[in-house]
Amino acid sequence: MRASNRQGQSPAWLYALFSLVIPGSGQAVWGKRSRGAGLLLVVAALGGLILWKNTVALLAPLAGIWLWTAWDAFQLARGRQTGLGVPFLLGALIVYGLGVSVTEVRPARLVSSWPSMLPYVRALTRPELMTYPTNDVTGQTPIQVPCIDPLPPPTREATVSPRLITSVPCAAVGDFIEVSGSGYLPNFEGELWWINPIGDPQRVLENGVQALFMTDDAGNFTARLRVPLAVPVTSQPGPGETQTHVVRAEQHQPYGSLQPTQTLGLVIDKIGETIALAFMATVLGVIFAVPVSFLAARNLMAGNRVTLAVYYVVRTILNVVRSIETLMWAIIFAVWVGLGPFGGTLALWLHTVAALGKLYSEAIESIDPGPIEAMRATGATMPQVVVYAVLPQILPTFTSFTLYRWDINVRMSTVIGLVSDAGLGFLVIQWIRLNRFSSMATAIIAIVLVVALLDAVSGWLRQRILAGAPATQRPSPMRRLLTRGAAVVVFVLLFVWSWQVAQIKPVELIRGAPDGLRLARAFAIPDIISRPTQEQKVTVPLPVPCGSGATEPSAFSGARVSLSRSCGNVGDPLVISGHELPPNTDVSVRWVFSDGAFLRVRANCCTTDAAGTLRLETTISPLMAVNADEGRLEAGQVEVIWREVVGGPQISDAFKTVLDLSLVTLLMALLATTLGSFFAIPLSFFAARNITGRSAAGRAVYNLFRTAFNLFRSIEPMILVLICAAWVGAGPFAGVLALMLNNIPNLGKLFSETIEEIDAGPVEAVMATGANRLQTLIFAIAPQLVPKFLAFILYQWDINIRMSTVIGFVGGGGIGQQFRLWVGLNQYDAAGTATWAIVIMVWSMDYLSARARERLT
Amino acid sequence: MLRVENLTKVFPDGTVALKNVSFDVRDGEFLTVIGLSGSGKSTLLRCINRLIDPTEGRVIWNDVDITAASGKELRHIRRQIGMIFQQFNLVKRSSVMTNVLSGRLGYAHPWLSLLHQFSGQDHKRALAALERVGIGDKADNRADQLSGGQQQRVAIARALMQEPSLMLADEPVASLDPVLAHSILQYLELLNRQDGITVICSLHFLDLVHRYATRVIGLKAGELVFDGIPGELTRERFKEVYGEEAEMVTVGGQAVN
Repeated sequence: MRASNRQGQSPAWLYALFSLVIPGSGQAVWGKRSRGAGLLLVVAALGGLILWKNTVALLAPLAGIWLWTAWDAFQLARGRQTGLGVPFLLGALIVYGLGVSVTEVRPARLVSSWPSMLPYVRALTRPELMTYPTNDVTGQTPIQVPCIDPLPPPTREATVSPRLITSVPCAAVGDFIEVSGSGYLPNFEGELWWINPIGDPQRVLENGVQALFMTDDAGNFTARLRVPLAVPVTSQPGPGETQTHVVRAEQHQPYGSLQPTQTLGLVIDKIGETIALAFMATVLGVIFAVPVSFLAARNLMAGNRVTLAVYYVVRTILNVVRSIETLMWAIIFAVWVGLGPFGGTLALWLHTVAALGKLYSEAIESIDPGPIEAMRATGATMPQVVVYAVLPQILPTFTSFTLYRWDINVRMSTVIGLVSDAGLGFLVIQWIRLNRFSSMATAIIAIVLVVALLDAVSGWLRQRILAGAPATQRPSPMRRLLTRGAAVVVFVLLFVWSWQVAQIKPVELIRGAPDGLRLARAFAIPDIISRPTQEQKVTVPLPVPCGSGATEPSAFSGARVSLSRSCGNVGDPLVISGHELPPNTDVSVRWVFSDGAFLRVRANCCTTDAAGTLRLETTISPLMAVNADEGRLEAGQVEVIWREVVGGPQISDAFKTVLDLSLVTLLMALLATTLGSFFAIPLSFFAARNITGRSAAGRAVYNLFRTAFNLFRSIEPMILVLICAAWVGAGPFAGVLALMLNNIPNLGKLFSETIEEIDAGPVEAVMATGANRLQTLIFAIAPQLVPKFLAFILYQWDINIRMSTVIGFVGGGGIGQQFRLWVGLNQYDAAGTATWAIVIMVWSMDYLSARARERLT
Repeated sequence: MLRVENLTKVFPDGTVALKNVSFDVRDGEFLTVIGLSGSGKSTLLRCINRLIDPTEGRVIWNDVDITAASGKELRHIRRQIGMIFQQFNLVKRSSVMTNVLSGRLGYAHPWLSLLHQFSGQDHKRALAALERVGIGDKADNRADQLSGGQQQRVAIARALMQEPSLMLADEPVASLDPVLAHSILQYLELLNRQDGITVICSLHFLDLVHRYATRVIGLKAGELVFDGIPGELTRERFKEVYGEEAEMVTVGGQAVN
């Protein structure tokens, strides 16, 4: 198959030299064009990534690949083949190095940050369920952070009884201070709290746990505490300023009998909301998915061109909607209809319609046309054909898909609150922000329980519906009617209740339509190309009162602004006119005060007309008055300001950011998948029955690992992200860690099931040849396991890509974090760009992994 | 009396399935259609009850032009023509009873039937039909719990519900083993003899043709190449229909294709 006819004409080292100058050129000249092009592309792509991410150390393996291409060309020219193992390993090393670098993997932090994890771990063992009602004794005292000279009086007051005193009136963040209290309950424990200037309370922590104090016989105590960083870095007081915080000491003396905590009440409330959300989304999802699925079924739509076009359009929309995660939809709908259960329901609903629409349509595509033909042959009408030949074939599949989706919706509705005020997830994120760890633990445990319980319910339903009673055990018609009637009543009640709880308000969709439209428009036109703009302005002085000094008016290439009076007093009517401004342009008209500060003359104003003129009637602002006493002598100005395009189109900043974060996201998924597999493979052997054996110890190991896998699998990855972000700090590393922790049990379970399915035949045959254990492993076991393991890993990688687009919402880094930020800042076009990047990423990875899996099986 | 006149069918992809086929079927005949796979047998049967619309030609039954009928008229014609299929075409997940009752859809109330409501008479009729094909005890089973031969008998019972005067059978025994094949064809013969139902049946086995048919037509590449009584179907004529290889697959005096 050698394409070359130059073989032997030139010395082999010449080809090596070619490839040494331009990688792959030697191969290309020798005749292997595609190999040469492939090598060049790989070296260029990896080199580009290394330079982009400025990871110079990775240039060494790249140089290795480069040298290898020369060696390959040399060998090729001598008529020998070289394997791709070396460059593959080096390439993997580079990609991995990049991954570690951009996702900021810092394993040391797992240990060093462990103390910040402790409160979470402790809390999980101590959920708040029942409590005694308490007599509360609470005292507080102000403290100023940091110290300044002179210290102004505190803006908040101390309590008198009980009385709390700090050792110093002011302190810096990180200082130790002493607080002493009197008038408390004697010989009783209390808690210390820190309240920041805007009133958010947080627990005072001591080595990661709540700081406590103990009063003496007289009800006095003294405690030491460290001043916490209670204000975000961006809201710290400027130089020469201070803020008043409050230290609070509380005692809670229980009395009476046990009662459910407020936490438990809230959790139970939100459990209801969670279930209602999932139920509503599933029911409404099915109602919409059924008609959609008929439009997305190829066998029904292939009839003519119009219907085929509809089929393609519907399929494409379904695929786009599906590739955007539910949590992302929740953020989008929150913009449209506001925070709350309704937005969450809409997000779940939309994703359900897309997912079920696809599954249903595939069920329709696989029906047997025979019965349809038979019904038509009996002279049945079209509706009769549907009822007697189509429905019986698709109903069981539809039911099973619906139950499957119900399971997913329950899981999703427990975490959708992390981004929207809906369901249990909202409690979790809220309590984490308030450092109320044991409340948070209660909510997390509730999530696990709800998921497990409803899984069991749907499993039971699945069995009942799909198995169908055997003919001999058919209940009497009367009983059947009764059970069916009861089922319908329960369903209707559940529906009405869910409608209430999920706060379904379709009118909100219309009321929020302007926001929704704005969003849709921004999403449809992603922000890829932008033109750099520059601020331009023209000014005119306006002395108030007259004679208080004046500045020169300024103009910009003909554009100028004029006033109806050259000076005046506060409250005088004034007409501001602009001339020769850019036509039909949004401009801003503002007062510029003598100290340089400015204020818009009118909000949402103004736009120039086609001739570039502008006219605005107003009265002179009181702030324009020049007060000679304060030493302000310069007169104020009226300014017209606008942005003008300068230079040609450029790649927008948003696009660059998205590109960068897409890479981070892909590498996060890669790292999580590979690390997860790395740990899952050895662990999975302990959960395979045929490996652990039948001894008591073996069975115990098997049960232990299986149970652990199942338990950890049921923890939502989003919750893991939250916990990991608290552990190692928010960022891509937390995301990688969380996904990995989720992947280990997932893959471990799949792997162990694969191991259990090993065909004993080949193992026996290889052992019969006298092979040793290692040889048996390599020749009889590995060939059975490796393709399946790889297929599972690819599948998990697929899921991880999807997950890594949303884990940023709760501190997991990647593109999701930026998406949420942009939506929060109303930069919808940038958010749209991120969304499209996600769609493309998910699609291409879906496609690649599907192709790769096809080759494996 | 069924008259097929110059029937031609060209599929959208250009395949010519039937070329100018004409023949008559007298009431009470047991007509078998023979020919290779793809010779147009199935298309011919489906053109008779218009599951497939012919491109040209006419099918006239008892002075009614089936090819010109549409809508309600067509459904009324169809309900008088029973049909059974090679793959039985039962709804596998529905019960035997539902499958048999669905043969009555052409007569049933068009809307009430959507709620699975049939008259008591229909239920009796269905049980009688099942008794007649010997599986009266299977009414409550799911169709896919039955063997292939039993499923084809359910299909016959379903067709009987239509009280047909013409029965189309598209290779009814091709998916069954030889013993079951005889039992199914015996039921068709019974209907033909006792009830006077005209049967048009496509078959593959020469000995079955000789045993059951009163008349045979042969199709080759969509054209009518034989029309006569089974006795006239000699080995030579058979080879004309099936091509030279037919003899190669004759096993124990039984031509198998």
